[in-house]
Amino acid sequence: MPPDGVIIKAEDLWKTYDMGEAIQVHALSGVSFAIDRGEYDAIMGPSGSGKSTLMNLIGCLDTPTRGCYWLNGQLVSELSDDELAYIRNKEIGFVFQTFNLLSRASALHNVELPLIYSGMPAKERLEKAEEALRKVDLADRMHHKPNELSGGQRQRVAIARALVNNPSIILADEPTGNLDSATGEEIMGLFARLHEAGNTILLVTHEHDIAAHAHRIIHVRDGRIERDERIE
Amino acid sequence: MASIGQTASLPHALPTRSRAGSGAWVTAREAFWIALEALRAHKLRSFLTLLGVVIATTTLIVVMSLINGMNFYIADHIANLGANVFIVHLHPWAQGYEAWLKAERRNKPIRIEEFEYLRDNLKNYRNIGAEAETQTINTSARYQNHSVYFLDIVGVTPNMIDIGAQKVESGRYITESDYQHESMVCFIGQDLVTEFFPNVDPLDKEVMVNGIPFRVAGVAEKIGSTFGESQDNFVHIPLTTYRKFFSARPSLLVNVQAWDAEQMMVLEDQTRALLRARRHVPYREDDTFAIDASDTLMELWHSITGAVFGVTIGIVAVFMVVGGIVIMNIMLASVTERTHEIGIRKSLGARRRDILMQFVIESSVMAGMGGGLGVLLSLMVSEIVNLIVGPGFFNSSIPLSAVLVGLILSASVGLFFGIYPASQAAKLDPIEALRTEN
Repeated sequence: MPPDGVIIKAEDLWKTYDMGEAIQVHALSGVSFAIDRGEYDAIMGPSGSGKSTLMNLIGCLDTPTRGCYWLNGQLVSELSDDELAYIRNKEIGFVFQTFNLLSRASALHNVELPLIYSGMPAKERLEKAEEALRKVDLADRMHHKPNELSGGQRQRVAIARALVNNPSIILADEPTGNLDSATGEEIMGLFARLHEAGNTILLVTHEHDIAAHAHRIIHVRDGRIERDERIE
Repeated sequence: MASIGQTASLPHALPTRSRAGSGAWVTAREAFWIALEALRAHKLRSFLTLLGVVIATTTLIVVMSLINGMNFYIADHIANLGANVFIVHLHPWAQGYEAWLKAERRNKPIRIEEFEYLRDNLKNYRNIGAEAETQTINTSARYQNHSVYFLDIVGVTPNMIDIGAQKVESGRYITESDYQHESMVCFIGQDLVTEFFPNVDPLDKEVMVNGIPFRVAGVAEKIGSTFGESQDNFVHIPLTTYRKFFSARPSLLVNVQAWDAEQMMVLEDQTRALLRARRHVPYREDDTFAIDASDTLMELWHSITGAVFGVTIGIVAVFMVVGGIVIMNIMLASVTERTHEIGIRKSLGARRRDILMQFVIESSVMAGMGGGLGVLLSLMVSEIVNLIVGPGFFNSSIPLSAVLVGLILSASVGLFFGIYPASQAAKLDPIEALRTEN
């Protein structure tokens, strides 16, 4: 794998839903773009613009109706469910607006989860999980359950979980949506540090303030890319 | 900086599934702990869910232990008859009231001439002897001012000591000489020793048997009791003496002893043929006598336990199925409750089979716990039964096989009935599942 390569290449992606009686709804109509390793990008658009659909495709939670999607040199747009699961485990680190942690498990166990599904033995798993929690400054809280943590701490656990398997990209969907502005700024600061450490980060948001933290904004509207803006 | 349209770098093939093996094991262990956690979190609900399985397992183990205990008991006590011995007599054993009535009506007692005929015409037997028994209703024995009632007064041929269950403890059995001379001697059972001779030697003492004086020639070893009936309450006297004082033409029990089980069957057939011929019983008609062996009793016993076991299996099956359906429904509800959680797991890379295995293991572990609870319950029931029925009668001992069968069966029921809910969970679309609110 060349160190500075294209990590995501999308070619003419369509996502179409059949609503019955020959009515079709196009959530995405021919989207194409490429993202390099080490970029810090944002996908921005109002609700209904198709940005969530695009995020689901990029995150390998779904496959396009038409078009090709290469992730890390791999054509993933036509993979089976099990193969997609494997890719998600190895290549994608999700961070959600609502954190999506297992409420009955400790922070450490939450962070271990991707490693469990990749078949890593226990000792190695725990080491890596602890290390990930250290990177987000939560090593002292690793045995706490989510309901014993603040919103910001929960999101940091989620970020540790996203990092633990060394993914190709970190995919964050409205990461500060459930946080107050101060905590939100903390989290955005964490993302900036992660980007400096070499991670590729992709934000999905409808807020310009959040998107402005990125170095490139892909504007989406009505299922198409409206504008591809570089900011430094 | 990349521009749109640049071709991708070298594509590479999907790496081989090294995670298949260890990943599955790890998921299994995680599922095990999740199952325990879920059980602990909702104790009452879990208990109610598992009730069917618990009852089924308890029933199965308790019945198997009871049968096991009874089998030991029967083998120990009913084997009194002696190996390879069969009896030719008037009334068939253990065939029910109708059979007894029929025997009363049409069977003819075995007479001494028929005994002698069999003795002279059967080939290669190991031994053949005869006994004559009185009705115990009117029997009594007296020594000084002690009395014993309802004892067996048995007229015997001297070789019965080699065929029957009695063994000589002191003195001697009835001899050929006693038999020839119609001697007034007797061989007494331990119950008489306990009552008449607790501190003295019984030999050569005179005992009044139904008012007739007999000299004690020998004492039998203690046998014990069968189903509460003492087997030591008897006197044996020579058959010839018996005919002189008790019954001139007694109904005999002819005991034939073979060398081995195979020969016993042959001898049984020969006996039947000889006796039918001598009595001129027509071809199509039934025997006018009965031939029984200890295996008759064992057969009857096995058919009883077989029937009991069959009914038990039916009950256990019903409870297991009902219990399984309950588990299935609870698991379905659980899957629905945890849809969001399943979505999270899938987004992190859980494949269908990981989710499937997680839920199947949960329901197996749950059901297995129910089985374990059933094992504990059956231990308690066993103890209670032993206390009530009392030691010495029988011990219901729980065979290890019953415990294993109970546990494995419960876990399998959980596994089987958990497959449908687990497959529903595995099929969930991650995007939809994530959208579900908790």
